[in-house]
Amino acid sequence: MDDLRPDAIPESSGSTSQQIVGESIERGFLGSSSEIALAAVETGPEGEASRKKLSIGAWLAIGWMGFIILIAVLAKTGIFTWGDPNESFVSCARRGPFSQEGTAANFILGCDSNGRDMLARLALGTWTSLYVAVGAILVGFSIGGLLGIISGYFGGKTDTFLTGLFNILLSVPGVVLALALVAFLQGSAETASKSSISPEVILIIAIGIVGIPLVGRIARASALSWTQREFVLAARSQGAKHRRVIIKEILPNVLPAILSISLLGIAIAIVAEGTLAILGVGVRPPTPSWGNIIAADRGNLFTSPHIVFEASLMIFLTVLSLNMLGDVVRARFDVREGLL
Amino acid sequence: MELTKLIARRAVQLVIVLLFVSFFTFLLVRLLPGDPTDIIIPFGTEAKKAQLRSDLGLGQPLYRQYIDYLGNILQGNLGRQYSSGRPVSELVAQSLPVSIQLMIYAQLIALLFALPLGIWAAYRVGSRSDAAINTTGFALLALPNFVVALVLSYFIGARWKWLPTGGYAPGWLDPIFDGTRSTDIGGHFNYMLLPAITLALGQIAIYMRLLRSDMIATLKENFISMARAKGISNLRILWRHALRPSSLTLLTVVGLNVGALIGGAIVVEVIFGIPGMGQKITLAIFSREYIELQGYVLVVAVLFILVNFFVDFLYTILDPRIRRGRSAT
Amino acid sequence: MSRVNRIAAIAVVVGAMALTTTGISSASAPSRAPQQAKGGEITFGLEAESTNYCLTTAQLAVSGIQVVKAVYDTLTVPNSKGEAVPYLAKSVEPNADFTVWTIGLREGVVFHDGTPVDAAAIKANLDSYYGAPDAPNVGALIPRVLGFVQSVVVTDPLTVTVTLKTPVSTFAAYLYLTGRMGIMAPAQLNSGDACKTNLIGSGPFKLSSIRQGEATVVTANPSYWQKGYPKAAQITFIPVTDGAARTNQLQGGQLDLMHTSSATQIAALKNIGSVNALTQKPGYREIAYSVLVQSKGTTEKVFGLETVGADARKAYNTALDRKKINQIQNQGTFTLANGLMDTKAPGYLKNAGYPKYNPKKAKALVAKVKAGNGGAFDVVLGTTTDAESSKLAQLVQEQLGKVGITATIALFDQATLINKAISGDIDVLFWRNLHGGFSNSSDPDNYPWWSNYNPESGAENLINFAHFNDPATQALLDKGRTETTPAQAKTTYTAYNKAFAKGNFITPMWYVNWTIGSQKSVKVALPALPDGAGKPLFVYGVLPVIGLSKK
Repeated sequence: MDDLRPDAIPESSGSTSQQIVGESIERGFLGSSSEIALAAVETGPEGEASRKKLSIGAWLAIGWMGFIILIAVLAKTGIFTWGDPNESFVSCARRGPFSQEGTAANFILGCDSNGRDMLARLALGTWTSLYVAVGAILVGFSIGGLLGIISGYFGGKTDTFLTGLFNILLSVPGVVLALALVAFLQGSAETASKSSISPEVILIIAIGIVGIPLVGRIARASALSWTQREFVLAARSQGAKHRRVIIKEILPNVLPAILSISLLGIAIAIVAEGTLAILGVGVRPPTPSWGNIIAADRGNLFTSPHIVFEASLMIFLTVLSLNMLGDVVRARFDVREGLL
Repeated sequence: MELTKLIARRAVQLVIVLLFVSFFTFLLVRLLPGDPTDIIIPFGTEAKKAQLRSDLGLGQPLYRQYIDYLGNILQGNLGRQYSSGRPVSELVAQSLPVSIQLMIYAQLIALLFALPLGIWAAYRVGSRSDAAINTTGFALLALPNFVVALVLSYFIGARWKWLPTGGYAPGWLDPIFDGTRSTDIGGHFNYMLLPAITLALGQIAIYMRLLRSDMIATLKENFISMARAKGISNLRILWRHALRPSSLTLLTVVGLNVGALIGGAIVVEVIFGIPGMGQKITLAIFSREYIELQGYVLVVAVLFILVNFFVDFLYTILDPRIRRGRSAT
Repeated sequence: MSRVNRIAAIAVVVGAMALTTTGISSASAPSRAPQQAKGGEITFGLEAESTNYCLTTAQLAVSGIQVVKAVYDTLTVPNSKGEAVPYLAKSVEPNADFTVWTIGLREGVVFHDGTPVDAAAIKANLDSYYGAPDAPNVGALIPRVLGFVQSVVVTDPLTVTVTLKTPVSTFAAYLYLTGRMGIMAPAQLNSGDACKTNLIGSGPFKLSSIRQGEATVVTANPSYWQKGYPKAAQITFIPVTDGAARTNQLQGGQLDLMHTSSATQIAALKNIGSVNALTQKPGYREIAYSVLVQSKGTTEKVFGLETVGADARKAYNTALDRKKINQIQNQGTFTLANGLMDTKAPGYLKNAGYPKYNPKKAKALVAKVKAGNGGAFDVVLGTTTDAESSKLAQLVQEQLGKVGITATIALFDQATLINKAISGDIDVLFWRNLHGGFSNSSDPDNYPWWSNYNPESGAENLINFAHFNDPATQALLDKGRTETTPAQAKTTYTAYNKAFAKGNFITPMWYVNWTIGSQKSVKVALPALPDGAGKPLFVYGVLPVIGLSKK
């Protein structure tokens, strides 16, 4: 009957009570639903997770992601544009497929309240949102992954210190931490000099830092279990250097565990960017991002709902696709099995 | 007793974490570049700035400043909002119960829907209703709080006019924190329902999916087949035999979710104009009330830690495996 | 055994939660007051919240002034003819050359704390307003407004004499100061930092409670000096910063009254059949404009360059297609402004001489500026984080870009934005304010927005955000202050308006149509002023509240 409870983290089959008890305090979330999906990754057994052929849903998800990446790159590079995202047209302001002021001609998706083409803005917004999300994930994953591996591999005091660090970061709820970081980074950037850091980079750093302990914990758990495996012990007993063991033996095995959640991570970061934009600390206008578009025209929701709804739909479909692909990738890598 | 020892150990850990977190919030203001007083009160007169400098203990060694800061916190002194001169603790007393109520409602609504749906899906695993529940849950997971909030306030608030899209009336918890308030339960729920549903929707999906997969595993166990063989009714098996083991998983996730709930509550409060901590935090950021912000971050973090500690505590009591593991060592 | 415990423990927790909810909710049944006063309880949705109500130090905008109006009375108020007439004061009389003003007070008027509104209280207030030595709670801005005050003396228990350094014929209007100059009880004024939140006035309503971000509640003052007023029993001011949400809440009945200056929301209000919309008439409206900041400390910025600064400012003003911006942002419903004053203020001109939109000319000017400025014409547009303001900045940015001016947008909260303007960290500030005098009391510089900025000579006028230093306009301002007849004032201020336009120090955008939305059950009455002084005015978006009532 004890085995009925699915083990939360890979090593817990042999874990001590403290480790199990400690789990809850060692995890924290940014506040998005998909973030909990991350928790579910760790807790849910998903017995039916399969190595079957890809479902239609997964193919659609791949298609959607390919589509928006293409749009984003085209819009950013200007190879193919849908018009200037910053040009306003009086005739089109606030009009869209379903606004009170009638439909805008020649603009398939209508315009925002400044009369700018929604299609062009969403396209460039896709770039901004993906750029911030992927950037943040790179920050969070590289630093968090590295610290996690070090923590799990060396154990002892290093482990205690780093785990403690993760715990402190995790004890502030993600949104609050990100908000506080953005506020203080912006405050510092303003005072520092004119050549201040761009808002995108501030967002990347803030969201990235929030991600560090999340990834760190997963990497630590994975590294810990691999460190105890025979071939690693053998390598170490033969006098191999730590760096070599980490790079040659640990990293290649820990990487799949980290990578398998990177898609979910991007989804979380996209939502985080939107959340911060709504709270008023997003990218600087006129640069569009999905969150920015929503934040700017939240006030026109009741009269011109298309602006908010179109950007929301982009976020929804993208997060849905990423969650779906994240599930597929996890099943493919079969991280849990590989670790045990 | 071993259990007390375990709890004592956790309590020590708790204190250490609390110390570190307070140090972290302490550093937030101290790490501002230049003279923090110029950033905190740019319009302040020299006398005001001098006052703030002495409040912050600037000029003293860092450890001394921290000890003073800690001493102030322990006396309930979180500093002042400089624009109005109000103590931050007073602002916390006004806004914290609002957020707590919102989160409790969201949690209750989520469990109310997630439990039956999750159980049903697990019981009828593979059926059409299972697929429908599962797919809906998956879709809900991809809907950020702010999107749900905006969609609901558009349809339910503006189009159909079923519920107000903003505002607040004090509920049952507000008078406890702030004696000058009187409760208006009808108005309270009228205002809180839409935000609570918004916040609950994402949680429903999480609990439901978790419960479903957990129970599917449980239902495959031998003791369930045995119970079936004994002729116990399905309903009874589901509620009494299968749900119990999953309740622990659920408990853990409910605890973990508090972080997500706090984050979600901030956005929901801002969108629905509810005067809770979330609104206070964002306003503090915009008006550069760093001392005020520092106080809020500390309060939120401490609460979050305490809730998790409480969940751990429950977990320790409830999970037989932990107790058995302990007696084995 | 373990299982039983476990379930039991969970049951206890869940049960406890349920108990707290139901238990307390049943205990605290509806707490509505059984008998409501006949004037009813009114909820008023404000666009923003103010945190500092210590009037001498506060920097209040329309929302804050609206609250202040309920709690405090000013010594004078404007009537519908635009005259500043005595209000809390019984009389306000100048001597022959307008250098000595005698303020007579009404007998028996008391503050909410029961202390009398006497000469000593008025002196204490005026001392703090103009910044007498050792006066408590002296602010940074208003002492600059009242820099011409020499002394305030109590001559008898109900009379105060104010001596000015220079003649000021419009001093009576200064005592209103667009509603900002309420009279506080000495207990509030002397309470140090608590002055910001401990509101004690002599106005129609008393402060009941302030809950930041939620509500500021004021209740009727039973011993108000104007008999029969106020009509309403209580007003609850609720900050609803999101304009659309405010309209929606009015429609949904959670608000009885609201104000808005957003064209979109005004249009929405007029579309809702179930509410009334009262738009302020032309005459004394707020003006929205952009300020072109000329210097940072002693360093000239592009708009202040000795060589091409004037061209740079002209280029900016020529590059802006204000008509298009008005159409997009205000749906074309606001009237474009071409001067400093609104129609009824002395000196008003339909066009004071600001350049017309002409992209071709603008491009030529930009080329000239770039030639004289090392090839650069880059500006930073400062705006608040508020969505509407940021969208305005984006429209301006787009139009500047079309003529070759590179503009970056910087978002700040209101207080920081002002700070950035003062320090000269931004080049353009989007602003709107209540200025332009009344017809007989006429100083357009009633808040010293336009007095010279001249740090070298010691005249470091901080709120001349543009940092311009123009002796010609300053001379006209000084002259206008001493004019004794409306006709003379009109002549001087017309000349001033023209001279000011010549400098292109600012770009007037449009007049703001402040609009009050109200439930049909709410009566928005503007009762006659005491002593037969005429009807009060709904000006600058601030609604007089003493006559409000609800069925």
